[in-house]
Parts: sequence; structure tokens; C-alpha cells
Amino acid sequence: MFNSSYQAKRGRIGLLLITPWLIGFLLLKLAPIIASFIFSLTDFNMLKPQDISFIGLQNYAVLVRDETMWSVLVGTIGLAVITVPLQLLFALLLAALLSNESIIGRNFYRTLIFLPSIIPGIAVFSVWFGFVDPTNGWLNQLIMEPLGLPPYPGPNSESGRNLLLILLSLWNIGPAFLILSGAMMGVPKELYEAARVDGAGPVYRLINITLPVISPAIFFSLLISLITVFGGSVLLDRNISFSSGFQSPVDWYIAEIMFGKQSLGYAAGIAWIMFILVIVIAIYLFKTADRWVFYPVD
Amino acid sequence: MLVVVIYLFPISYMALTAVKDEAQFGDPNAPVWPSRKIELEYEGEQYPLHIVPFEDGDRELLLVQPRRNESQFIDPKSPESGLIEWEGSWRTLEPVYENYFTFQAFTDWFEILDFRQVGYNTLVVVGLTEIGVVVVSVLVAYGFARFPIPYGNILFFILIGTIILPEKITLIPTYFAFINLFDWQGTWWPLIAPHFFGSAVLIFLLRQNFRTIPKELEEAALIDGAGPMRILFSVILPMAWPTVVTVALLHFFFIWNETRLASLYLLSAPDKHPLVSSMLARGGFISGANNLQARALITMVVPMTVLFLSQKFFMRGVQITGLEK
Repeated sequence: MFNSSYQAKRGRIGLLLITPWLIGFLLLKLAPIIASFIFSLTDFNMLKPQDISFIGLQNYAVLVRDETMWSVLVGTIGLAVITVPLQLLFALLLAALLSNESIIGRNFYRTLIFLPSIIPGIAVFSVWFGFVDPTNGWLNQLIMEPLGLPPYPGPNSESGRNLLLILLSLWNIGPAFLILSGAMMGVPKELYEAARVDGAGPVYRLINITLPVISPAIFFSLLISLITVFGGSVLLDRNISFSSGFQSPVDWYIAEIMFGKQSLGYAAGIAWIMFILVIVIAIYLFKTADRWVFYPVD
Repeated sequence: MLVVVIYLFPISYMALTAVKDEAQFGDPNAPVWPSRKIELEYEGEQYPLHIVPFEDGDRELLLVQPRRNESQFIDPKSPESGLIEWEGSWRTLEPVYENYFTFQAFTDWFEILDFRQVGYNTLVVVGLTEIGVVVVSVLVAYGFARFPIPYGNILFFILIGTIILPEKITLIPTYFAFINLFDWQGTWWPLIAPHFFGSAVLIFLLRQNFRTIPKELEEAALIDGAGPMRILFSVILPMAWPTVVTVALLHFFFIWNETRLASLYLLSAPDKHPLVSSMLARGGFISGANNLQARALITMVVPMTVLFLSQKFFMRGVQITGLEK
């Protein structure tokens, strides 16, 4: 019934349908990536665009000795190592708790968990900075003091800032929670029934049925949590302006160079380093995914 | 449930702080609850009420004459009995508070901001990008889900790759192009135009969903002679509409909260900012924790309402099964 010329025709229709994305990809993704690389080989500055000259790998040579660059890179990776697993575990835990059908109004609870993720960045920052403020805030007054815990030192100290970053990352789990919840609802009921008959407890069922079945969703959540740390914004916009580096130190540093000094060449160099880093991490993740992500047979 | 309460606890801080009187913030004795000092009139002047300890118990008295070592008070219940002397520093005394809510912080904002202009800006940016991104993403997702596109798998893998692309690498040249080549500073173009090429993550979510729709339904329509667009509208969309609405909502939450590009490209046009970024830009005009929290509340009330109205299917619309490579 479907001969090859018919298939070719359908192929052309499909190509036509994806054309807008394809053009967008070429103009807004591929061309800028190449342009960024070319910029990074020049001393291009927005303030004097006519004085552009080719300087080869000089930007990269400076970058290697740039101490700020190394510290923000280490800071970013450190942030990723702490917040990404924490976000994922927290989202997974909440999604698992709320997948129990006997909970009354669980859809409402799910909405409440998602709520912080739709609050604009400025509101989130106002709320948390106010909440943890050592003099007027509630954290010390209502939580730390009554529980006999040491007072929170305020967001300006090193440890205070890190703690705040961790708390803030827990308010960003919305997309991961949404994806994991959706995946858990899609797990076939028969699998649970069979396990129940065999006498499996809830923890056993979670580890041996739910997690393998939803592993593609876990993988996707992992990717989007990770990209947030590198200054991307997938499904969620939590940044206020380009100069607030609360989510990603390296992202902040690029913005500083780019908008503060207007030196696009050097900024493009850092962006390319970050780009390569993300690619390496992504390839590594996709490689390991072969071992723990289970793809259903189409 | 307890987890949810703890999780959302800071929101109650925001709500209560927004309705506090500004005088409460500098006052170390003030309670957590929104309140103010009770002041009563005595001989035409207002005086604050304090708790004053005496040997026979505490009394609530008006502080009329504060001095370092001894102060003079009036009993508001019997002002005719005259001044009462009390020895000790009046600063050690605790004032008496009453519950007090004020919407001053909100009315301040309505004076700072022209909400009609800002509302119009928000409507234009949100409305146009919403139309663009949803229509284009649905078409592209349909193409990827149902048609044998040459090198379709590779193209789709590239699409997933663009989801995890760091934003700065594309921002640097596009910033230069939009500002210097197109002269788009101070216009809505840089905020709106890119959305008319679809959004990779939304295309991905839609395509995953379209693929779960049984092909048999389509084949029946094909035999009846339906074209690709008829099939999209009469077979795919009626089945997939919860996901399409979810995707539209996700974009709405995203674009409502977007402030980075707005503050970058609308730097020279303060009257073109949508709501959230214009409130951000006017941060310098406000002071006080109550104004900050009122701002937070004003910016989040719309997305919050939308979320609660749509909660029935919002949480069902996103399902990721096989993420094939």
C-alpha cells in the first residue's frame, strides 16, 4: 500500500513541517556557535567594533592563567556536584510519595510542589533573602532558635551563601518533579499487581519496578538539572538578570566580561570552554545511560 | 503533607511581610505577626503604650515623659489620677502591640508603575510568543513524530542536543547581531522573534506524546483521503490536546518570568518592559522589606492563579517514556 515514491513524498512533507525549527537551528544555534568561536580568536570589543583584529589563540592563553576563571569553573562544578543529585533525589522522593493513589487531593499537593518553580526569579530572591535575613528574617527567629540550632550567619558569608544556594535549588525541582510524576503515573498497573502477589514491599517495588521503568524520565531530569547549573534555562527561568550569578558562577563571569567590559572576544572564549565542558559531560552521561536507562521496544 | 507545609513556609513570610507597616522593621521588640505599637491620646498628643512592671504586677501605661532613669506615665483607664512616676530606664520596657495590616506597600506600587501600559506590554510579548511557539512546535513535533524525514533521527538528536546547549555561547553573537546589525535595541523583536522558530524542549515533549497515539486511527483517515493537515487537526490534536495545553502553559510560565533578555534589549525603552522586568527595573525606587515582598506577590499572582486553574490536567500532560537516541 505504501510504495517508495509515496514514502518520499511523505518525507518531503515532514521536512516542510520541521523547516521552521531547522531555520531557527541554523540561524540561532549553529551560526552563533561558529560565530562565537570566531569571536574567541579575536580581540573584538563592542565599544570599538571597527578595531577588530585576529589574535589567534591568545584569548585562550590568557584564560588558562585567569584565576577568576578557574575559581568560577570549580565553583560551578562544585555546585553541580551538590545540587544536581540533591534536586533529583528530592524530586524523586516527593514524586514517589505522591504517586500513592490513596492520598486524598494528591493533585493539589503536586501543584503545591510545582508552585515555587513558576514564581518569578525576583520574587524567589526577595522571599529567600528576606526569610533568611539574620535580623528581620524568620529562619533564625522561628526555626533555628526554637530548635536550639546555631543561627544562620546571613547570605554574605561563604557558608551562608552555599546553604542558601542549596535551599534555593530545592525550590527549582518543579520540571524534574513534573516529569518524574508523569512517568510514575505511566507505569503499567499490572507490574505492581504481579509484584504484590509475589509479596514485594513498597520499597522493593520502587527500586525494582518504578525506577527501571521511569529511567528515561530520570535521565531527562538529570540533563535539565545539569544544564541549569551551566546557566541554561529549560522549562524554568530562575535567573534575574545576566549579572546575577546565583545559579551559575561561570555564567555570571561571562556576563561580567560581556556586559561589563564589552569584550565579546574574551567572553566567547570562556563560553567555548563551558560549551566543551557541557559536551564532555553530556557524552559521558549518554555513554553511561546505555547501562541504566531502559528503552521500551517500539 | 507536613513536607509540603515546610516546603512552602517561606511563602507565608512573603505574604505576612507584604502587609506589615514599615515602622515594624526597625523595631527589635516587634512580634513576627504584622502589628504596630498601640498609641493613645492624652491631652491632644499621641503616646505609646508600654508594659510597666510594679511590685503588685504589670500595668499597661502610656509613656508621656521618657527619661533615662525615671519616666512619667499616664494610666489610660484613669487619666484623671495624674502622672505616675516609675524608676528605671524606659528603654527596657516592652511596648504593647496590636494586630495591624496595611496595604500601603501595594498602593505604593500602583503609584510607581503604570499598570495599564505594563499590562499591555505583557499581553503583547506573552500573547505573540505564545502563538508562535505553540503553533510552530506542534507542526515540527508532528513532522518528527509521523513522517519519514531523511536523516530524521540525526536531526532529532541534534534537537535534543540544543536543549542542553549553554545559553551564553549563542547569546554573544546574537546580542551583537540584534543590537548592531538589526538595531533592535529598545524593541520587542529580540524577545518575540526567536520563539517563532519553535522551542526544542517543547517540540520534544509534544513529539513524545504524539508518538503514543495509535497509528491505526490515522490510517483510517488516510484511506478516506485526508491530507496531513486534516489528520493533524482531526486525529492527533483531539487526542493530544492536554499535552498541547500543558506545553502552552509551560511556555507561559517561562515567558512571564523572563527578565534577562527583557532587561538587556529593552534597556533604552523603560516603558516597553513587561510586568516582571519593569518591577525589577524599578527596584531602585523602593525600600523596605514590605515593598520587596509586595513586589514578589504582585509578580507571582498571575502565574499562580493560572497554575491552580489548570492543575487538573497540568500534572498529567508531561510523560516521557523512551528517550531514543
